[in-house]
Amino acid sequence: MKPHGLIGDEWLVSYAAGSLGEAHACVVAAHIDYHPALKSKLRDAEDIGGALLEVSEPDSLQSDSFDAVMAKITAFEEDMFGAVHMDTEQKDTVPPIVVGTDILPASSLPSSLSQYIADKDLNSLKWRRMGPGMSQVRLWDGPKGEKLWLLKARGGTEMPVHDHNGLEMTLVLQGGYQVGASHYTPGMIELADTDTKDHHPVIDEGEDCICLVVTEAPIKLHSFIGRLVQPFIGL
Amino acid sequence: MITEREKYESLVMRVAEHKDKAAFKELFLYFAPRVKAHLVKLSMDPRLAEDLAQDVMVKVWRKAGQYNPAKARLSTWIFTIARNSYIDQVRKQKYPEVNADDHLGEMVADEKTEKPLEQKQTAARVNNAMKHLKPEQVEVIQLSFFEELSHSEIAERLQLPLGTVKSRIRLAFKTLRKELGEYE
Repeated sequence: MKPHGLIGDEWLVSYAAGSLGEAHACVVAAHIDYHPALKSKLRDAEDIGGALLEVSEPDSLQSDSFDAVMAKITAFEEDMFGAVHMDTEQKDTVPPIVVGTDILPASSLPSSLSQYIADKDLNSLKWRRMGPGMSQVRLWDGPKGEKLWLLKARGGTEMPVHDHNGLEMTLVLQGGYQVGASHYTPGMIELADTDTKDHHPVIDEGEDCICLVVTEAPIKLHSFIGRLVQPFIGL
Repeated sequence: MITEREKYESLVMRVAEHKDKAAFKELFLYFAPRVKAHLVKLSMDPRLAEDLAQDVMVKVWRKAGQYNPAKARLSTWIFTIARNSYIDQVRKQKYPEVNADDHLGEMVADEKTEKPLEQKQTAARVNNAMKHLKPEQVEVIQLSFFEELSHSEIAERLQLPLGTVKSRIRLAFKTLRKELGEYE
């Protein structure tokens, strides 16, 4: 069986092929960032793409194709030259001072995530309360109903028991949690789908747990109160 | 004697260091027709594929300084640029990338599996390895790379359980890696 907390090779192949949507690609890329072994496998998977490209029967190009490319390059470099000049006029912005906490600095977050949080650290994001001990930051909504978001849960929190209508991927960035006999810590990913019943994660005692999550469809909460507040949480 | 592969890699270096147009033209003549053909295989209209292939080559020029032969084969690097450009253009989505540096990787030192890249396969070897796949394995690889279907979309297309699709992709990948001497 595949190792606990690591994603299966089929996801590396799909990531390499370009067949994941933006939200899933973000979580998978972030997960790969934590594990050199996955990075090495991803290179092999992308080599398949490179080889498929290289063995394609070359297509004929327009007769002026090379000149068109050189013209695009010239136009781009002129734009850049202008932009560089603008930059030097207004570069006096001082980077904000990050107040030291126990939360990971932005520099050690996976790079695929940083573009969604404007390179901020997790602490300075606008966390929106979504339930007892839980808050969220919404990052991106996709065309197929997929949602990319960050979950923060206080140490010791019991997540409401739920089932899933689609696939849910959870990558731990900080802290940890327990589902049944399985324990998840930073860099580990958990996949839950329609076959995962009575999903009931319990956050480790101690520091806040922060996860990068993608959900494909609203979860099915078991409790009546949970179902009542769900429309306001938006998940 | 330098190999075909080293020849093209040194052309990228010349573009990066000297903005050498002659070197770039050689790269263009080899890769642009293949990038276009690849995009047409992704069912892009040939006129749009031509335009996007041109944009991919513009990025090859611009990013030449970032290319590191120790990290990726040249055709793989150009494939990822083409993949991301296609997704940006056709799906209007970003394709979040894996960090090229290993700064997070260093935190998990016991998993290191760095191998000498000298033994990396050529396109011919991958092509040959594809011949070792069963037809149903070739099918899921092609649906992934040329139709960019997700696991559940492939399952729907082939009328198969999701678990079967996943294990077929895993087995295909395992066979390819084994054939290429990469698999441990």
